[in-house]
Amino acid sequence: MKNKIICIGSRLVETDKAGPAVYDRLCRKKIPAQTDLVEGGIAGLNLLCHLEQAKIVVFVDAVSGFTRPGQMILLTGQQVQAACPKPVYDHSAGIAYLLAVLPRVCHGPLPEDIFLVGIEGRCDSITLDRAADAALTLTRKNPVV
Amino acid sequence: MSPETKKINIPLNRAEGDLEIKVDVTDGIITDAWSCGTMYRGFEAMMTGRGPLDGLVITPRICGICSLTHLNAAAVALDRIAQVTLPDNAIRLRNVALMAETIQSDLRQAVLMYMADFTNHKAYHRHVLFKEAVARYQILAGSSVVEVIRKTKRLIEIIAIIGGQWPHTSFMVPGGVTSIPYVPKLMQCRLIFDRFLAWYEKKVLGCSIARWQAVTTKKELAQWLEERPEHRDSEVGFFVRFAQKAGLDFCGRGDDHFLCFGNFPLPKETAVTPRVPGAGLLTTPGFARGTDCRALDAANIKEDSTCSWFEQKPAASHPYDSITRPYASGNMGKPYSWVKAPRYDGLAAETGPLAEAVMDRVPLFQDLIKETGATALVRQLARITRPARLLPDMGTWIDELLAHHADPFYTPVKTIPDGQGAGMIQAARGALGHWVTIENSKISNYQVITPTAWNGSPRDGQMQPGPWETALKGTRVKDLQNPVEAGHVIRSFDPCMVCAVHIVKNEK
Repeated sequence: MKNKIICIGSRLVETDKAGPAVYDRLCRKKIPAQTDLVEGGIAGLNLLCHLEQAKIVVFVDAVSGFTRPGQMILLTGQQVQAACPKPVYDHSAGIAYLLAVLPRVCHGPLPEDIFLVGIEGRCDSITLDRAADAALTLTRKNPVV
Repeated sequence: MSPETKKINIPLNRAEGDLEIKVDVTDGIITDAWSCGTMYRGFEAMMTGRGPLDGLVITPRICGICSLTHLNAAAVALDRIAQVTLPDNAIRLRNVALMAETIQSDLRQAVLMYMADFTNHKAYHRHVLFKEAVARYQILAGSSVVEVIRKTKRLIEIIAIIGGQWPHTSFMVPGGVTSIPYVPKLMQCRLIFDRFLAWYEKKVLGCSIARWQAVTTKKELAQWLEERPEHRDSEVGFFVRFAQKAGLDFCGRGDDHFLCFGNFPLPKETAVTPRVPGAGLLTTPGFARGTDCRALDAANIKEDSTCSWFEQKPAASHPYDSITRPYASGNMGKPYSWVKAPRYDGLAAETGPLAEAVMDRVPLFQDLIKETGATALVRQLARITRPARLLPDMGTWIDELLAHHADPFYTPVKTIPDGQGAGMIQAARGALGHWVTIENSKISNYQVITPTAWNGSPRDGQMQPGPWETALKGTRVKDLQNPVEAGHVIRSFDPCMVCAVHIVKNEK
């Protein structure tokens, strides 16, 4: 069992590249033991395998409508699902669909906790650094023993 | 008094956010259609001036569902430029991974996207199979939905094992592959494959693949349905029964021009035989009018941008000579899409699993084309049964990898010389091409034509509509507020316009 930090988004699309930008920052930092850092990209449902056998999952992704532009926000998995109550499967299916379908298809125990480090709008490097630190802090607080 | 024509936009909220379909409807029948791609992607512009290998990393980001296919097209283009011969094991490994991606895409599209429309209460609550459709295909909860996600999730582990990384694997490179799976890993692939095959036969077909392949005509399809309850209750059986009662065997008629680039090159030593003797690929490249199949001539492929928001050229041009520079102005008149209009020998052509089946001379689909022509039902049937054509050969290639695991997987390629090369392959959604020109050790031109560019193209300079613009004409729409029939037609082509932005939106 491991902790996972999964950065979502397309580094080639301006409005969706916050996750990969945080991933790049995390690559330069020391990742806690028993923690996998994953560039989730735009893989959508194909990320399910990373959620199985995971203790804590921290997604990092761009968000819209959660806080002020340029800010970072920390959400729980339940808060993400509450904000996206009717996720559907399409070519842009994101975290909300993944979380909704996970309990029905997960092989083995569900993750103990799921978080989303959300980045609203265009962010400066200070906010992206804060997002990277937040993701690390969440995994350090919940070490795999 | 002449009947009133209404202009409506078809909502494709569960298909693509970057696709708008506008139709004219007269007396409940679609009389004309316009397909508008609403997003400029710009990958071609991103590639220009970069190093030759950059396409291997950048172009797979075009699509989140078939990223491996783009990786393969990019690698094949560079193989051609480097004029390198791949070792048999590299060919087998690439093919197995591509088949896994294609099969998962086919089943997810069928069950999670296409059949989800059968649960449309307003349209189908009186359909005799509606309750069962809801039990199977209800979003997130349907029994088939859950099962397909579980099974395809396991299948794509084969790609992760082969590629050594997931997602964004980059294991295909000019000359072969970078990862050599050890025997235990290949055995793990074989185990995953065996379990998937058993599930596909039992649940999706309701019979063995051999029995399904014995269905060669429309009449035999009807007999197969009546033969056993397992056939009727399978996903294929249920789809056919529901679709026939919903009239999908009469809607979405195309003009029966089919294009297939073919895929899965054959290793020099293999037990797998091509669908059509003499082809160097498992699936057959070519162009067909109806069932009249011709060899593919890549010189016949041209891009027309008359109705697209791009810098205009005086005439349609081959992808090697194409440019993709966005240009939009309120005074242009004709353009209405960010998608160009690719044409084969001047003709619009549909591509996808049905085109593949026609070119491979699969008897059932040749008969269906002769009987009814391409319809929403026929396209979708070709998609959900394509795994039955791929799985046996996929198993053979895994076995051959196990038998030949000590053989090479890579032919060294030191540099990519200047030159031109095309990676033309058959992706899950149809014909995909990457046309690459290298000059002075840099990419000087990179053109991508996706399957959806073929299927969802706008009109060309001759004002010929694109394939799904044609297919929409004649479709009866019972309720303009709920035009589910038009959705059936568009989705039978499996559109893929987006795969780019996955922001978590607060919908409250």
